[in-house]
Amino acid sequence: MASETEYVTLVSSDGFSFVVLRSAAIKSPAIMRMLDPAYGFAESKTNTCHFENINGLVLEKVCEYFYYYQKHKGAKDVTDMDFPIELSLELVMAADYLDSRDTHQAGFIYI
Amino acid sequence: MVLPRRKANRMQGLNVPDVDFETTWGVLEKAFLEIHTKNASALSFEELYRNAYKIVLKKKGEELYHKVADFEARWLSSEVRTKIVATITPPLQLLTEGNGGRLLSSTAERRTAGENFLRTLKQSWEDHGVCMGMLTDVLMYMVKDRVYCTDHRQPSIFAKAMGLFRDQILRSFDRPNGTMLAECLTKVILDQIQMDRDGEKIDQHLIKANVYMLEGLYQSDQEVEEEKLYLKMFEPYFLETSAAFYREEGERLLKESDAGTYCKEAKRRIDEESDRCRSTISEATTSKIQRVVEDELIRHKMKGLIEMDSGVQYMIDNDKLYELGLVFELEARVDPRKGELTKAIVKIVQDMGLAINRTAEVTSAAPPTAAAQDDAGEEKQKAGAARQINQQTVAALKWVEDVLALKERFDSIWKVAFNSDQTISTALTRSIADVINAFGRSSEYISLFIDENMKKGIRDKTEIEVDATLEQAIMTLRYLQDKDIFETYYKKHLCKRLLLKKSQSIDVEKQMISKMKMELGNSFTLKLEAMFKDMTLSEDLTGGYRAHVTRLGQADAKRVELSINVLTSMTWPLEAFRGAGEDEREGRSNLIFPGSIERIKTGFERFYAEKYSGRKLTWQTNMGDADMKATFPKSRNGRPMTHDINCSTYGMLILLLFNDLRADQPLSLEEIQTKTNIRESDLKRNLQSLAVAPKTRFLVKEPMSREIKAGDKFYYNDNFSSKIIKIKVGVVSAGNKVEGDKERKETEKKNNDSRGFAIEAAVVRIMKQRKDLSHAQLITETLTVLSSQFKPDVNMIKKRIESLIEREYLERIEDAPVPSYKYLA
Repeated sequence: MASETEYVTLVSSDGFSFVVLRSAAIKSPAIMRMLDPAYGFAESKTNTCHFENINGLVLEKVCEYFYYYQKHKGAKDVTDMDFPIELSLELVMAADYLDSRDTHQAGFIYI
Repeated sequence: MVLPRRKANRMQGLNVPDVDFETTWGVLEKAFLEIHTKNASALSFEELYRNAYKIVLKKKGEELYHKVADFEARWLSSEVRTKIVATITPPLQLLTEGNGGRLLSSTAERRTAGENFLRTLKQSWEDHGVCMGMLTDVLMYMVKDRVYCTDHRQPSIFAKAMGLFRDQILRSFDRPNGTMLAECLTKVILDQIQMDRDGEKIDQHLIKANVYMLEGLYQSDQEVEEEKLYLKMFEPYFLETSAAFYREEGERLLKESDAGTYCKEAKRRIDEESDRCRSTISEATTSKIQRVVEDELIRHKMKGLIEMDSGVQYMIDNDKLYELGLVFELEARVDPRKGELTKAIVKIVQDMGLAINRTAEVTSAAPPTAAAQDDAGEEKQKAGAARQINQQTVAALKWVEDVLALKERFDSIWKVAFNSDQTISTALTRSIADVINAFGRSSEYISLFIDENMKKGIRDKTEIEVDATLEQAIMTLRYLQDKDIFETYYKKHLCKRLLLKKSQSIDVEKQMISKMKMELGNSFTLKLEAMFKDMTLSEDLTGGYRAHVTRLGQADAKRVELSINVLTSMTWPLEAFRGAGEDEREGRSNLIFPGSIERIKTGFERFYAEKYSGRKLTWQTNMGDADMKATFPKSRNGRPMTHDINCSTYGMLILLLFNDLRADQPLSLEEIQTKTNIRESDLKRNLQSLAVAPKTRFLVKEPMSREIKAGDKFYYNDNFSSKIIKIKVGVVSAGNKVEGDKERKETEKKNNDSRGFAIEAAVVRIMKQRKDLSHAQLITETLTVLSSQFKPDVNMIKKRIESLIEREYLERIEDAPVPSYKYLA
């Protein structure tokens, strides 16, 4: 199943699976490359990415952000996304890991 | 940022435990090997990514970087290089090691081997690219670590890997002391291109891919744009071999084919090379290779091409317009001024012009000798003389027509083949002007051309055609330098046309004048227009006189009609009617008229004096003509018939003498002269046409010979017979023809005199304005002022200045640093 599916599965370190739109997920360059069929890594074969260092709580928020971003892309005066303050640091680290640089700016910048 | 302690355990997911660099690297290295052997599907990107991430977080990024580089170097130098070197088979070795390679192996062998080599290299390069892309992505976290990269001034890992490919593959040798692979590559590509040029099929994409690789690599890791391997290791050699190839090819083509083919071939080659750049190598080279081909096939060969047997001369001779166009196009590519072609064209025009000039000289010089040889019988000689006159005119007409045809021809070539190029147009104009001005009699011939057209040529022509003819005449005039000489001739010719009513249409004459006015300016046509005015005034005058006579009631049938032209002596070149320069003032004034004519003459003089007091009329009897009625008893098959005779005034005077005589009563030459007082030469000429010419032999001469000698006797010709009612007695020297040498000298002398005046006038005008001026400046200004009329001789100007100084118009400034003059008011 090497074909590009519409949805991809993101799996957290504690075993939670998130099925998200591929177009939303590839907001992260790291995820985009993992799933790139041209390289043919295991992730692109199964359309599933396992994240050994991101737990379900954080990954959920990350997925939420992917959609939030896709929805409001290019729009002005968008209300900031809500997130629990106690997740801040982990979110920043996850963002850094996934290279979603914009994540810092869009939602997590004012920790 | 201080985090509450209790929350720290939440981060254990991202909290990196101690990482053993060697183990982690071991995992990565093994994975990289898998990637290079195309087994990536077994690997988890995330795992590799995470490992690299850990190493970087542990600040071991630099170590990782070097490890990766080492790994790549090892991989390239062992696996990849071996594979490529294996494809360098003997045919390629021969090719790369010596220049004889092309001879020692067959093309097919070399092509297959070359393609194999290129394919392997391309494949390796592409694989390397893909793998490195994957590696860099996996190591994204390291790459992202900008602090590290910029701080240590290291190229990005991707660039580093590309550099490694260059160092480990292209800069390695196929075997110890062998050839560098890059050099092999260049030679193989060049060899393939050579095959392409020889018309064999090659795999363009393969080469393009390799060239693309060279374009993607740089001399050093700094990646300076000018230091692309392509520019350093390929392009110069490519241009060099191409130059050598085309140099040879050009020489071969020049030797083996004709110029037309050469042009086509050159054009094809240029297009082919630019196509090649697009399809096989790099667009960046297009302009450079074009320049090389242009240099070798055009710039260095243009001269040879033009001078080929089948070169420009041949093309023009045979109207090969398309080929000429090709030559032009080629030359235009390399030289916006088209120097060589222009030079060649100018030379051809001048040669052709010279030929025309020479033909004209030969034709005009030939008849006299021909006539001299054939002196058998007076008829023939007479005809010969007539032919001679004719021949001269014909030569003149032919000359003008030839020149026009020449211009026409080159104009059409210019339009069709030379794309109406401005530079060539200028050169053409100049060379045609040179042709016209190189011919000594051009002024006279052009005027004769107009004369001939006015008299005969424009008959049966539509207005448009007439206009075209006039336009042509004006065109030659435009090129003419000595316009003043032309004016002299034109005046002379016009004068004869007007007075002898030879002109077909006065309207056309006026049209011509107005064209000249437009072309040459007002002052040029002033006198010509005055001539027309005199003609109109004279018509009124004649009418007025006729009315005046009728009023006086003298109108009887036998009265002689008078038609008169009163000419202003300054504007009309009356010497045109005189014998060459002879002084005949007394001969004219003392002419003896019979009573009836004398009455008319005095009658008109009185009439004129009443009308315009204070003017003096001088009778130009030598220019007049007369209509007479004469009856010959046996003219029409033995029966009497009355003829209308038109002859010169002199002829009339002579014939009138015989009215009072019996038919058998002779008059001797001397008697006629005393009775008429006609100058001897004129008398002889007129008697010749009345007594010798077969069709107008109203008189019989004794003895019957051609020459009129003293003591000859003339009788009324009782036996004259002619079917024609109106007989025109040929007026000797009435037509406009080419001047004899004597006349020419006369004209020249006159012309020099008038130029002298013109120069003096110009000098005085300039000096009056400037007060003092250096010699050199004065000369230049004079030349400029006079350029519209003629090109004065500098010596002549000097003489005129001398003369002005003598007459105290000017004086030399004694102590001036350069010779200068001062105007003396």
